[in-house]
Amino acid sequence: MKGGFMPLNMVNPGEEVTLMAIHAGRGLQSRLHSMGLFPGVKMKVLKGGPGPLIVSVRDTRLALGCGMAHKIMVG
Amino acid sequence: MAKKITIALAGNPNSGKTTIFNNLTGSRQHVGNWPGVTVEKKEGSLKYKDYEIKVVDLPGTYSLTAYSLDEVVARNFVVEERPDVVVDIVDASNLERNLYLTTQFMELGVRLVIALNMSDRAEESGHKIDTKKLSELLGVPVVSTIGHKNRGMDELLQAIVDVADGKFDRGNVTPRYGEEIEEEIRKIEELIQRDAGLMQRYAPRWIAIKLLEGDEEVTKKVTGEK
Amino acid sequence: MDRREILDQVRKSSEHLKGIFDDEVETIIVDRRYGFINGIYKKVVSRPAIERLSASDQIDRVVLNRVLGIPIFLFLMWLMFKFTFTLSEVPMGWVESGQEWLGNIFGRFFPAESAFQSLVVEGIIGGVGSVIIFVPIIFLLFFCMAILEDSGYMARAAFVMDRFMHKIGLHGRSFIPMILGLGCNIPGIMACRTIDQERDRLTTILVNPFMSCGARLPVYALLIGAFFPEKGGTVLYSIYILGIVMAIVMAKLFRKYLFPGPAAPFVMELPPYRIPTIKGVIIHMWERGVLYLKKAGTIILAGCVLVWFLGNFPWSPEYSKDYDRLKQEVKADSASGLITKAARDESIANLENEQAREKMEKSYLGGLGRIIEPVVKPLGFDWKIGVGLFGGFIAKEIVVGTLGTLYAVGEADEESAPLRERIQRDTWPDGRKIYTPLTAFTLMVFTLLYMPCVAAIGVIYRETNSWKWPLFAAGYTTAVAWVVSFIVYQGGRLIGLG
Repeated sequence: MKGGFMPLNMVNPGEEVTLMAIHAGRGLQSRLHSMGLFPGVKMKVLKGGPGPLIVSVRDTRLALGCGMAHKIMVG
Repeated sequence: MAKKITIALAGNPNSGKTTIFNNLTGSRQHVGNWPGVTVEKKEGSLKYKDYEIKVVDLPGTYSLTAYSLDEVVARNFVVEERPDVVVDIVDASNLERNLYLTTQFMELGVRLVIALNMSDRAEESGHKIDTKKLSELLGVPVVSTIGHKNRGMDELLQAIVDVADGKFDRGNVTPRYGEEIEEEIRKIEELIQRDAGLMQRYAPRWIAIKLLEGDEEVTKKVTGEK
Repeated sequence: MDRREILDQVRKSSEHLKGIFDDEVETIIVDRRYGFINGIYKKVVSRPAIERLSASDQIDRVVLNRVLGIPIFLFLMWLMFKFTFTLSEVPMGWVESGQEWLGNIFGRFFPAESAFQSLVVEGIIGGVGSVIIFVPIIFLLFFCMAILEDSGYMARAAFVMDRFMHKIGLHGRSFIPMILGLGCNIPGIMACRTIDQERDRLTTILVNPFMSCGARLPVYALLIGAFFPEKGGTVLYSIYILGIVMAIVMAKLFRKYLFPGPAAPFVMELPPYRIPTIKGVIIHMWERGVLYLKKAGTIILAGCVLVWFLGNFPWSPEYSKDYDRLKQEVKADSASGLITKAARDESIANLENEQAREKMEKSYLGGLGRIIEPVVKPLGFDWKIGVGLFGGFIAKEIVVGTLGTLYAVGEADEESAPLRERIQRDTWPDGRKIYTPLTAFTLMVFTLLYMPCVAAIGVIYRETNSWKWPLFAAGYTTAVAWVVSFIVYQGGRLIGLG
């Protein structure tokens, strides 16, 4: 991975990335944490933007709206 | 003379909790609202051996934080109504994420039984789970179930009843957070243990951890705000 | 105080830990928690060497496909409606026959033409009938919904529609309730439970009534039959579209001014597909269906009795003619052979219809209609329409029946030719025709938009746990109906369509 992080919605489908940071308020962060999205976790993008994404995290499929995907930084 | 116990069903959304609730209570269930909120409350009952069991279906949640109404409802019920047993329905093909909620219950100190549900699906995708080991490591009885085929219900009820009767020793397993944090938890716990009011209701370790996490509801309870 | 000590210690600890870890305590705790879980996971689970693409993923490649996703969704919705409405026709027919049959039996227990007989037959049996007649549709709709939910498809549907809903300022999950509202607003509003953010939920509940529900169809059918015989399809379609457009506009307005706030972050789990169990689906369907029966049912029944009361009292007003004597004369003429039996029956039927019409005119309901006439006149309506619309407050189906009585057509439904003719011919005191195509269209617009039936209001109360919202819903929809109808009518006249 080139240096630096990028938002999730710029990742191509089929790519595996690692979640680095979530830029969101505490409530939203907590929610994402409990759904499995936590810094350090590996994610695979199954379906990319534009529009909502689908990622595979810890055996789950999660659908994320584009606003959400913007806030998740991966590397 | 039938023994009456109350159990709460908890678990992630999509973990098959509703199916198991239906299996256990069949037509003896009714739907209402949790008082004061628009969250649906389902209750039912069943008879097992010489037990009369009331089953409360808690909202499906991923955790027990104060950030979501569903979670607050679930945790308030467990803390205030003190069900005899909490049954955590865990999706076997999604173990890691499901265990996140389980650790919350473990820290609350409730009497827990884990239903490892949808085990057929996990098998199909080639996952093998050592339930015995899981039970040892968590200090909680683990029963394999396949809710939508109605399998494992008897074993589950037996485990519930055993735990309610105190026949299972939990051994007090909870996640440890590393030296530095554990030290601070200990300091806070000490102070909490001097407060009779708080001690009555909650496990002091849980309060300490929640306070460190900045949990709004618990902080309010401690400051005495409404 | 001991407790303040605790909080002080917490603050100290937090700062200390933040210093060490250079991160919020909460984050570290979550991290360690996952570490604990991961440790257990590794010891307990063994995974296959190669992970195959699961069946669910394969299905999703089609269902969530950018091009196919929406058409597939629309197709499934259409299928659901077709299934529901077709299958429910037969049971609905049974309910109507059952109503008649019961009415006949019970009617005999009471003195003919008495208030009691009327109360039981028209008020109560009629009222209960209008609730029960919905049961097949409601249960079948909930059946379909349960299948879609339990199979895991619902989550995909929300995902597919999310982009579109986002542009309106709503959530992907808001789409299903809106679609359901096209069948009946009651399950539509109840389906809003799956929307977790309060803002989006309330907005969706409040705009649901603009999705034209099935009960308004008889009114449209009557008016289209009378005034738009050729262009019926287009007119109907435009009414539905208007409803949808208004729903979108109001949704945007509400989200901007009434419930401002960022759009709910859309994060949702897509559970693997599975085959729903019959037991699960039936239980799901049953729960919701019974809820509807209990809540909506009691309100509609009470409403029907109320409308019956308002429309039938005073029981014996001052009639303009002595109907009883006139009926006797006709019978005498028939007995003495002056007129045929068929002619006698027709005359008596006409007299009875006239009598019913006058009775309703002079009833409280008629009085109410006259009172609001000034309010509805700018929309081109007369007091009779006003009365009909009042009935619609209780349940939209009542509108046609009430109009039927007012036009002395006896038992009328939307296909009744006599009712159609009489509406076409009716005039104001000064001779102008009351109903023009423009008025008819305006009336359809008003029916589309104004306050949903009392049962729907009752469900809004149940779902929001306060009287504030149902009353607001009733108020704003009627206000919007009036304003839009005004614009349509007066605007139409200005352009010369009147």
